Amino acid sequence: MNLSFASPALLWGLAAVLIPVLVHLFFRRRPKPVPFPAIDFILRARQETKRRLRLRKILLFLARTSLLAAVALAIARPRLLAPEAQAAPGPAGPAAVAIVLDASASMGYRQGAGTLFDRARADAIEVLTGLGADEPATVVLCGGPLVPQADPPSFDKAELRRRLAEAELTHGHADLTSCTGAAVRALSESAAGQALRRKLYVATDLTAVSWRLDTPAPVVATPAGPVRPEVTLLDAARGETLENAWLSNVAADPDPSVGPRGYRITATVNGQRREPLKDATLTLRVGQGKEERVAVKSFIEIPRAGSTKKTLAHDFAAGGPAVVSLALPGDAYPDDDVLFLSLTVPREVKALLVDGAPSPVRQRDPAFYVEAALTGAASPVRPTVVDLDGLSRARLADYDVVFLLNVRSLGEKAGELVDFVERGGGLFLAMGDEVDPERYEAELRRILPAPLHVVKTASERDAARFSEVDWEHPALSVFKGAAREGLESVRTFRYMLLRPERKDSGSRVLVRYDDGSPALVEARRGQGRVMLFTSTVDREWSDWTIRTSFLPAMQRIAAFLAGGLEERRDWPTPVFAPRIVPAPEGVEVLALLGPDGRERKLDEAAGRSGPVSVTPDVPGLWQVRVRRDSGKEGLDPTLAFAVWPDPRESDMRRLEPSELTAWFGGESHARVAGDRPTGESREIPLWSWLLVAAIAAFLAEGLLA
Amino acid sequence: MAETAKTLLDPTVLARLATLKLRVRAVAEGVLSGLHRSPHHGQSVEFAEHKEYTPGDDVRHIDWKAYGKFDKYYVKRFEQETNLRAWLAVDASGSMGYRGSEDRLTKLEYASALAGTLAYLLVRQQDAAGLAVFAGGVTRAVAPRAEPSHVNAILETLQGLTAAGETRLASAIDFLVERAKRRSGVFVFSDLLDKEERVLKLLAEFRKRKHEVTLFHVLDPAELTFPFDDPTLFLSLEDDRAVEARGRDVRKGYLELVGRWLEETRRFAAEADLEYVLARTDAPLDEVLVPFLARRERSAA
Repeated sequence: MNLSFASPALLWGLAAVLIPVLVHLFFRRRPKPVPFPAIDFILRARQETKRRLRLRKILLFLARTSLLAAVALAIARPRLLAPEAQAAPGPAGPAAVAIVLDASASMGYRQGAGTLFDRARADAIEVLTGLGADEPATVVLCGGPLVPQADPPSFDKAELRRRLAEAELTHGHADLTSCTGAAVRALSESAAGQALRRKLYVATDLTAVSWRLDTPAPVVATPAGPVRPEVTLLDAARGETLENAWLSNVAADPDPSVGPRGYRITATVNGQRREPLKDATLTLRVGQGKEERVAVKSFIEIPRAGSTKKTLAHDFAAGGPAVVSLALPGDAYPDDDVLFLSLTVPREVKALLVDGAPSPVRQRDPAFYVEAALTGAASPVRPTVVDLDGLSRARLADYDVVFLLNVRSLGEKAGELVDFVERGGGLFLAMGDEVDPERYEAELRRILPAPLHVVKTASERDAARFSEVDWEHPALSVFKGAAREGLESVRTFRYMLLRPERKDSGSRVLVRYDDGSPALVEARRGQGRVMLFTSTVDREWSDWTIRTSFLPAMQRIAAFLAGGLEERRDWPTPVFAPRIVPAPEGVEVLALLGPDGRERKLDEAAGRSGPVSVTPDVPGLWQVRVRRDSGKEGLDPTLAFAVWPDPRESDMRRLEPSELTAWFGGESHARVAGDRPTGESREIPLWSWLLVAAIAAFLAEGLLA
Repeated sequence: MAETAKTLLDPTVLARLATLKLRVRAVAEGVLSGLHRSPHHGQSVEFAEHKEYTPGDDVRHIDWKAYGKFDKYYVKRFEQETNLRAWLAVDASGSMGYRGSEDRLTKLEYASALAGTLAYLLVRQQDAAGLAVFAGGVTRAVAPRAEPSHVNAILETLQGLTAAGETRLASAIDFLVERAKRRSGVFVFSDLLDKEERVLKLLAEFRKRKHEVTLFHVLDPAELTFPFDDPTLFLSLEDDRAVEARGRDVRKGYLELVGRWLEETRRFAAEADLEYVLARTDAPLDEVLVPFLARRERSAA
């Protein structure tokens, strides 16, 4: 008969039995001195009642101590397990034994002082210890990505015990159906165990996701035909419900309304609990290592079952690689309480707006509209407006993108602009009355997406409209649903026709007018990008500038031309999923630093130069140690990546033991050895008796005091 | 008037009277109004015998009727009815200084009031009253006399008493044995908390010598009811002893012992023909004295 406690942590309450002792030692009332004449009678009376008083004092102390101890024990809900719950069924005699130890991530659930895995391993070792010398055994560790392997049963118990003792919890998923299948196959193939019974022990937390009960249960192949093994399920959770609250997803989306580098970070929180958890803190941290700090702390109600979403906003202080993490309050299963996300925050884009036809009437000034569109608190673009004179003095290398707005000729600056683009700069060209196709052809031929031809004028009534739009293009992908109306409603009265270009020119028409003429053309030139708009960005030729689509389109185009929109957007990797770590030019990947602080060095054979394939085995933020051409070693923040826990392991719903024993062939073949027996209840709760004892002690205390 | 006197006899009221004289007067008047018969009743000079006249006898006492009959001068001799010599023995040991409540008299004050009142009443009926105060031994003594002014001497002695020292009743008895040659009345005022157990036997011996012994057993109500509950450090009033006990733990045993002691004292007094009066210091003094005096008068009659 075993004694166990439903809430062993509450046994700390037993310390309350010290209270009467402490009160007796330290808080004893000082007697009041009183002169009294008949002191002889008191002395004699005390002498006569001395033994009785001492006995009463002891009984009083015992009553008080018992009262506190009984209440403290009752709160911890003790219960007795009847011995028949643990007795092994089936006939006696030696057996070949296979022990499957569940090492999946969910076994990291903490219950009491240790994890379920600690308890399951102890159960497995106990089974192994209880085997006779004539009983061969094998051990299968189940968890992680590897295909379960089971050696044939052997008599080397010491080696098996060592394997169990050294077994480690993984952060991966366990397919116990496969593992029990492998164990049963090992029993089938065992030459030593042919004449013996076959027993299978599975030490697990009985989470439903680990089992595939729609497949047939494993059977032992014997010369006489298939035989069901005798299965004993060692329930590590001891029949308890496993509560969990976890983050299943974190998504970060840019949100200009938050700020120039603002993001909306949305967390999906799931709950599997007896009661909903109100006012749980959801913490958003940014940065990594020593620079990590709490950015937002929010409250969320975790539902009893199901999921809920919470969106937090954060404006990053600077562009570049960034790491965010969202965390729930720690619970018994910590793996899924924190999710990391690595992202690249767009850098500030410096744009040079070259106004080819400055006008005192602002509506006629092409730079007015573009500057207004690019300027703003939420815009990542910082525009600088110059005229042609200013352009000659400007240093193009100081800018990310150049807007040529109705510019007649670049003159000497043309060569520098071509060079600027080919080295990776961005160029936007807008037409106008000043534009001379021949000069453009002469000065910018190498970088123009297509040669300019002639200006076409449409009547007021038959204004051209944007028709074929490449909505998937990064610069235009922001227009979704009704927002597309803002682009499709643009009316254009004059526009530059382009000469047909060769197919291999690298140009791509993003928008066409309804007559098929290109309206917006993009081309990659050298390392840079060029975009050509065939009409004006003032009110002269087109009314785009007064449409709602103009402002987002200009900001996105500027960011795209500066290379900001195609920068790496990291997708988190599930644990144990292979991942390619890119090695940028001039960078050698040396090692990976896991969230557990351990460094995984890459062997020479894997090849350090070039992309490296790794399989992260721990959820969290992984960092990459690199060596640059300069010989400098260090962590490269742009290569850090997030690894998320296996979502299947967060689902702690447990199988009904009867369901699993039925799958293994019913109670004649399988049983659960744990706190909750398979058949009728053999659990004897003791808390009610303890409360009766507490009441008795209370009454005794009242009588004696 | 009677009601006012009754109120005055309440010990809580008496405790507020500053001097013993005032207390005694109040008590004596209360006692006198409480007795139905006058204490002077029967107090007359009665003829005892004739004696032949010899020179020096008072000629006023010559019985002229006898001269007519016998022709000889005979002088009448008279015997006074009230010629009692009374000793008042007051215990002034440390334990007599106890009072269980601030608004009560100490046992010594109560005993002094009793003794003073008795002295007043005795002298008033022309008995001689003397005083012996004892603690470790006899500390003060006033020889018995019957003059009215003598009461003042007794009261002044009682007034100046302070409770100190051990109870030693035996010393008082020894003192009185020496001085009370003829048949006397002895009134003992004590709490009898004497370490010596033979004091009652000595008193019994005293009674055998034809002395009338009256024992006023003066006790505070707290000694009889033991009204203590909490842990208390009880300090002896006569020596350095101290005992720590929780009142409710020892009360039952204490009350049993005190009850047994009182019962034994009462039984022994009855067997030895001693007059025993239990005087609780919360009882009005007339309630103690009037029944006692009435009893004496009845026995005298």
